[in-house]
Amino acid sequence: MSNKKLYSMKLIFCVPALLAISACSSLGVEPWERDVLAKDEMQLVTDPIEAATDDHIYFSKEASSGGRGFGGGGCGCN
Amino acid sequence: MAVADSVVAVVAVINQKEGNPVIKKKPKSVSKALATATCALLGTTAMPVQAQEEPAWEFNTALLYYGEDDDRVQDVSIALLARRLFADDKILTLGLTVDSLTGATPVGAAPLDVVQTITRPSGNSTYDVAPDTLPLDDTFLDTRYAFNASWQQPLGRLYNGNVGISFSKEYDYVHSGVNAGISRDFNKKNTTVSLGFALSKDDIEPIGGTPMALTPMLDVGDLSNRLGNETKDVVDLLFGVTQVISRNLLVQVNYSYSDSSGYLSDPFKILSVVDPITGDTLPRVPTPGVDGPSHQFLFEGRPDERVKHSLYTQAKYYMSGKVLDISYRYMTDDWDIDSYTVDARLKFPIGNSSYIEPHVRFYTQTEANFYRATLSAGEPLPMFASADYRLGNFDALTAGAKYGWKTGSGHDISFRLEYYMQDGDVPSGQLIGNQLQRDMYPGLNAIIFNFSYGFGL
Amino acid sequence: MHLPGNTRFLLTLCLIVIFSTAVNAADEPELIDLTAHKGKVVIVDFWASWCVPCRRSFPWLNEMQAKYADQGLVIIGVNEDTSEEEVAGFLADYPARFEIVRDNEGSLATEFGVVAMPSSYIIGRDGKIVTRHLGFKTKLMDEYEATIQEILTAAPQVAASR
Repeated sequence: MSNKKLYSMKLIFCVPALLAISACSSLGVEPWERDVLAKDEMQLVTDPIEAATDDHIYFSKEASSGGRGFGGGGCGCN
Repeated sequence: MAVADSVVAVVAVINQKEGNPVIKKKPKSVSKALATATCALLGTTAMPVQAQEEPAWEFNTALLYYGEDDDRVQDVSIALLARRLFADDKILTLGLTVDSLTGATPVGAAPLDVVQTITRPSGNSTYDVAPDTLPLDDTFLDTRYAFNASWQQPLGRLYNGNVGISFSKEYDYVHSGVNAGISRDFNKKNTTVSLGFALSKDDIEPIGGTPMALTPMLDVGDLSNRLGNETKDVVDLLFGVTQVISRNLLVQVNYSYSDSSGYLSDPFKILSVVDPITGDTLPRVPTPGVDGPSHQFLFEGRPDERVKHSLYTQAKYYMSGKVLDISYRYMTDDWDIDSYTVDARLKFPIGNSSYIEPHVRFYTQTEANFYRATLSAGEPLPMFASADYRLGNFDALTAGAKYGWKTGSGHDISFRLEYYMQDGDVPSGQLIGNQLQRDMYPGLNAIIFNFSYGFGL
Repeated sequence: MHLPGNTRFLLTLCLIVIFSTAVNAADEPELIDLTAHKGKVVIVDFWASWCVPCRRSFPWLNEMQAKYADQGLVIIGVNEDTSEEEVAGFLADYPARFEIVRDNEGSLATEFGVVAMPSSYIIGRDGKIVTRHLGFKTKLMDEYEATIQEILTAAPQVAASR
């Protein structure tokens, strides 16, 4: 990887991380205000089979995979 | 006895605290709190009713059909996911998938205005490709069995850990992997930081052996440029932060690193060797009396290492019953592939127990630095080359919807229908002579249909 | 667990006591009337219908209430739902045989400084919070019960010195 690319990579990852850390402490809800967040449809992955299926399809048809988790791999389809 | 004592104690505390300005500020909120609490007192149920048992097992089953047009790949798969819930949020998850693949897939060779004869990957026979059509290998047939298991449990009040294994078997491919992760909650569980890793080891065992990179496709029965089995190792690391923004909004940001090493080529993909002026694939004469390729093809060769970085961010937003789920992923790797993915779905409730969820997904990627539509006979052989369209420059679109409902007995049923299309092109500088008039990039149109059924026991 | 910040609670408790005496609790039987529980051990349990461990805690809370009522244990479940329908649905599935009050603006939870759901505050006979439990784990039920027994049997002076 070129130095320039390395630098931009660092920027891409560090800036959001720093922003996240500094912003996080003032965000959020009280523990008793999680009624909406506790709903099934508010979970990050609502349908694990569908997520796995999609990861598998896109892993075998595109050059990218994962991101949300360790999606897709483990087949001779790529 | 104790009653009198505690009254004294309380009074004593009141006296002690008098004069403290904080006390003067407090009464309002407390009386308000009390008033609120007073509003509704729900009577204590005197009936000795047994509390409902939590279901111990949750099952999710799905049937998937994925079908590409032009008789290309068709995949029918059945998936079963079982979750056993143990006391105190410990969860065992077991997954089993069987998929059955049939159909034809592009081999990487360029179309030509004459019939092309190509040796099958096994080296046992040949097949012909009609003029002006994209060469497809129709022997693509496989059944894959995949199994995975994971265990997750809280570790104390703030930590959560998980470990898992995965295993899959195809006719010519075996995968085994382990993974583990840990997460910690901060800031009243509004912030969750997670770390995970996965290791996998795959064995590639194609019939006839794996071809040596960038060596010619030979006559039937000639396996002199085939090696034995190969392996591939993948290390994945993931660092994620999940943040509750408000009562209705949740955001996740993940960085993941993936290092693959070993045999990363596709043993079934080839490249056409073309005339540097006309761009037509150079002819070849098989040994007399033996079937063999009619033109010059080389097996592809990719680098034996690939490092990917990706940044994934997802937001879930609840809007009075509707749920918006948006994600964005940026991926870059040392093969110079950059990709961007935007995925959005919006779940609308219909009545009390059903919903519809439209979904769109955009994907775009740049080509790998060794992607070559063809190899020119006039140039020195590159170190690496692949004409696999999946390493090319293309855009993809998925659009569809899911409809689901909950039955009277609490089972979940859903149907999903989606359309997936890819559209790409060969970088213009790579096209030579007659290639400019030919459709050199395969493209793809597919239907995805899903039926899923979930229930608890 | 011992809370050094007991004063805030004491303040709350005192004010509750003042308030309930001032307003005449007899006319309003629905009040959380801690004066009625003077000298008893009170568990104030914050819960909500959407909170999974809360479901598991209810049968246990019922059991504790039944088992130790004679020794002066009073359990008050403070509900934090916003929708009454959800609460009714929850209570149909997980009946509560102890007192339930609603705190649908979270004021009591704010006063108590609740940091997890469910949270149980155990108030000794002297009116001071002795301990709190964050979350509910079935494997810790014996431990929770032992704490309750200890607080029930402790002399007020001992409890106060803890």
